[in-house]
Amino acid sequence: MAIRKIAETISDRSKFALVSTGYIFKKPKYLVLFLLSFFVFLYFLTFFRDGSSNWQLIWSGLAIDRKLEVLGRIFQAILENFCSLYGAVILLLSLLQGIIVMQLAFAWRHREKEQQLEGASAGGVGAVLGFIALGCPSCGIGLLTPLLSAIAGASAVALSETIGHIITILALGLLLFSIIRLGYINYIIISSKNYKEEHAKSH
Amino acid sequence: MQKAIRIGILVLVIGFLGALVIFNAINPTPVDMAVWNEQMAKGDKETAKHHFIMYTDIFCPYCDKFSDAVAANMDHFENYYIKENNVLFEIRVTDVNYVNGHSENSRPAGLAAYCAAKQGDFWSYYYALLAKIYNDYHSRGIGVSRDSEKIPTLEMSYFYDIADNLESIDREKLVRCMESNETAAELDKNTKEAQKKINGGVPRFVFDKYVADGFAGNWNTTNDYEQVKLLMDAGLASK
Repeated sequence: MAIRKIAETISDRSKFALVSTGYIFKKPKYLVLFLLSFFVFLYFLTFFRDGSSNWQLIWSGLAIDRKLEVLGRIFQAILENFCSLYGAVILLLSLLQGIIVMQLAFAWRHREKEQQLEGASAGGVGAVLGFIALGCPSCGIGLLTPLLSAIAGASAVALSETIGHIITILALGLLLFSIIRLGYINYIIISSKNYKEEHAKSH
Repeated sequence: MQKAIRIGILVLVIGFLGALVIFNAINPTPVDMAVWNEQMAKGDKETAKHHFIMYTDIFCPYCDKFSDAVAANMDHFENYYIKENNVLFEIRVTDVNYVNGHSENSRPAGLAAYCAAKQGDFWSYYYALLAKIYNDYHSRGIGVSRDSEKIPTLEMSYFYDIADNLESIDREKLVRCMESNETAAELDKNTKEAQKKINGGVPRFVFDKYVADGFAGNWNTTNDYEQVKLLMDAGLASK
């Protein structure tokens, strides 16, 4: 019974979140913010997609023009995201993160600071988990494996593949939770604003 | 209180990520600069100014991307890096993907590589095997990443057949070597040794003081060779 009630609440709030997200998307400045956040996250998630090799190149003794080349090559890698399931997960994580930033900005602009923190912190954790879960554990590379290998030794690679999948699911779950949470808050803000406007007009 | 807990968790996760990044950046793993198998090294080890080591597994797709790109641009790689810059290029073949349960094929491939080295032509066999794996699987999107279809467990003849097209490798000797596990001890010893140095996975590149994990390529040898050059130049700049 309790589970059914929770499911109904989540379902209702998801619908409200969808409505508010659609509303905010129609505002050009928030759409720009969404696109900007989406590309920033897409860039950084792609940067760490194949483990830490790009990061190590940036911190190497390469000349500055070669380091810029490393950064530039990420744009080409971004396009390759559209060709694989792994890339699709990166796109999805970036998309959800972009929506969160947009919703957060909307709520912030309308001074709902206390409430928005609840969704925002979960979104932040989700974003960080998204980065950690990246890499190719079957090849032993990625951000998670080196630390696990320090703790679990040679079995870390097998371990990190399982943990990597769990973390990816966890990251997606937290991002969705944040979107529903922030979206619901924004729905209340939008409804309240519309009511006040209509009320003002009628008087 | 709840707010503090949430912020605490966020700080903890960010701290965890920071620790990972720092852990990767400082790379405290000690490096063994002695050549493991003479046949698996190119360059003049007596006069070499630089030592570039690649820890690999033949069924690691990211390792194969690197090697395929080098094979496609061998003239430049040998002339510019090995001769002009006096680099000793060494491949340390392991079967870590077999040990970690990711690929049954890693074991026979590793054994075959050391058997080919025993016959004095590791390089021809290595590149011929990689080319076959590329044509049969990687070019079709099989075994190219963790989410792609896995390469099936291969028959031993897959590894023997490579010798048919190589004058320098005797098929019968290769079969005998692999059937009698002649190179198993060397492969096991090197894999065990490599596991202490690679933070659990391959490819790991050690170029003098510069260490890099993973290889960001896309199976286009022209594109991937540009990434190889970045890696090599970062290594050259580290000394």
